[in-house]
Amino acid sequence: MNKRKSAISKDYYGYIFMAPFIIIFLAFIMIPIFNTFYLSLTDARIRPGTWGGDFVGIANFIELLGEPMFQLAVRNTWMLWLFNFVPQMILALVLAAMFTSTTFKLKGTGFFKAAYYLPNLLMPVTIAALFQSFLGLLGPVNQVMVGTLGIWDTARNFLQNATDVRITVIFLQTWMWFGQTAIVLVAGMTAISPSLYESAMIDGASQAKMFFKITIPLLKPILLFVLVTSLVGGLHMFDIPHLLAGSFGNPGNSVLTVNMLMNNRRGAPSLLLGNSAAISVLLFFMSSFVALVVFRLFRDPAEKRES
Amino acid sequence: MKTANVNYAQKTNSYVMKQRVTKGLCYALLIFLLLVCIVPVYMLLINSTRSTVQINAGPSLLPGTEFFTNWSTLTTLGVDVWLGIRNSAIVAFSSTFLTIYFSMLTAWAVVVYQFRFKRAMFAFIIAMTMIPGQLYLIGYFQYMNTLGLLGTFAPLIIPAIAAPGAVFFFKQYLDSSVSLELIEAARIDGASEFRIFNSIGLPLAAPGAFTMGIFSFVGSWNAFMGPLFLLGANTELHTLPILMSRMQGDVFRRDLGAIYFGMAFTLIPIIIVYLAFSKYIVTGISLGAVKE
Repeated sequence: MNKRKSAISKDYYGYIFMAPFIIIFLAFIMIPIFNTFYLSLTDARIRPGTWGGDFVGIANFIELLGEPMFQLAVRNTWMLWLFNFVPQMILALVLAAMFTSTTFKLKGTGFFKAAYYLPNLLMPVTIAALFQSFLGLLGPVNQVMVGTLGIWDTARNFLQNATDVRITVIFLQTWMWFGQTAIVLVAGMTAISPSLYESAMIDGASQAKMFFKITIPLLKPILLFVLVTSLVGGLHMFDIPHLLAGSFGNPGNSVLTVNMLMNNRRGAPSLLLGNSAAISVLLFFMSSFVALVVFRLFRDPAEKRES
Repeated sequence: MKTANVNYAQKTNSYVMKQRVTKGLCYALLIFLLLVCIVPVYMLLINSTRSTVQINAGPSLLPGTEFFTNWSTLTTLGVDVWLGIRNSAIVAFSSTFLTIYFSMLTAWAVVVYQFRFKRAMFAFIIAMTMIPGQLYLIGYFQYMNTLGLLGTFAPLIIPAIAAPGAVFFFKQYLDSSVSLELIEAARIDGASEFRIFNSIGLPLAAPGAFTMGIFSFVGSWNAFMGPLFLLGANTELHTLPILMSRMQGDVFRRDLGAIYFGMAFTLIPIIIVYLAFSKYIVTGISLGAVKE
């Protein structure tokens, strides 16, 4: 009857050991999640003494969805994510293919992988300040382009130009994340059995053909993982645009993201907690909805084939 | 017969050439990207040793002599870098410790014991790894104000006890290394369950704890949005990122050398972690990806 040898079961320790996690989780994560949802249905504001408000139903949501500023923030966030994800993914795929290539056997791949991850370790504040000074009127980029090389006649004021600021944010996001993505893809590619490539090579398949017919299809779960984590992270983008272009993402709110708008509504002079919470809730619905759609789109064909 | 051989040789030659050219192009791309990643960081460190006038005059590959001048400028301008470092260190070390210890304990519970709702709880923890902290930050912010904890370290440190991602990581790690026989033997020897965890579980998962610790530390050290919301106007407790962002708006336009010095300061622990543990970092990312 008894599968376990011990006379007295110690299994109740499972609850004891899990208790700290569960208690802190409920008190410091679950309550805030519900609180955010609750606040989004109120007109709560930051006032001296009380930070509460009255129940207003979905008024915050209706207001936000019709508001040009919110729509702009949603469009900006999507644009910033998409334009950094595509080049980042292509670059990471090329790098991963190179790192794992058995024909080239490149040297120093461990060193390169580690070096490409370095930008991800830097403080976003430092990155933003660094590139602000690089791109400043007197910064090294202008020094080289105007002074040393003489390609431009006058210094370019990058941070006052909407397109330039957007490109800078996109570049920085790619710069910070391509190394991590490449490392993840290398891990996925190394897990693919070499015998598949060997037999394909005997059949005379080209490198490119093997990449598209073997590597990519077998990498699908990893690609899905990268896509979803990048998407969820990207839709919550805050640090870099906020620190590079100020809390309004200037000039002209060109890099104002949804989370930046959320932060602005909470801060002075708005002090609107309800509105701010409603932005968070909308962002949550948007990112979970898209993540679910992505999962469905990617998973369906495989499941159909199996059944 | 001879011509056939020559043909073959030519073919292999051109094949080898083509291979070499492609390989060369690969290295060219790798080195280009290496420079893109390293040069900005190098320039940062160099500029922290140069005066504003020198920095404005043009980039340099060699360090200058103004390191200590920049330091004193920064201090004169009222930026207490040491205070920032102290605050960041308190938050980063304590949250890293809590994350590691309690995530291991939770994972140990899942791996070693059989109890009701275990599967459901673990599935729930995995689902929570997909929810980013910024999502409920506003509710957290208001709730912490209600509890009177706003402007203290508590809201930044305590939630480290409940880190779903770390629990998942340790669960995977322990699954492949725990021996239930060893635990049974320890029980027969009369060891308490806590003792078993501390003397068998912790050492067993130590390499994993190391990897997890690096990520947890760096994440906490660099965190910006959380401290921005939760520390508020209590400047005494401002962590480095918050201090830096205040400095960025204020001092920035006045003294470039000083701001570069400040930036270099934020990098010190990161560079130490990086130089010492970059192998663990790469393994850590790879592990997390393949197993998820």
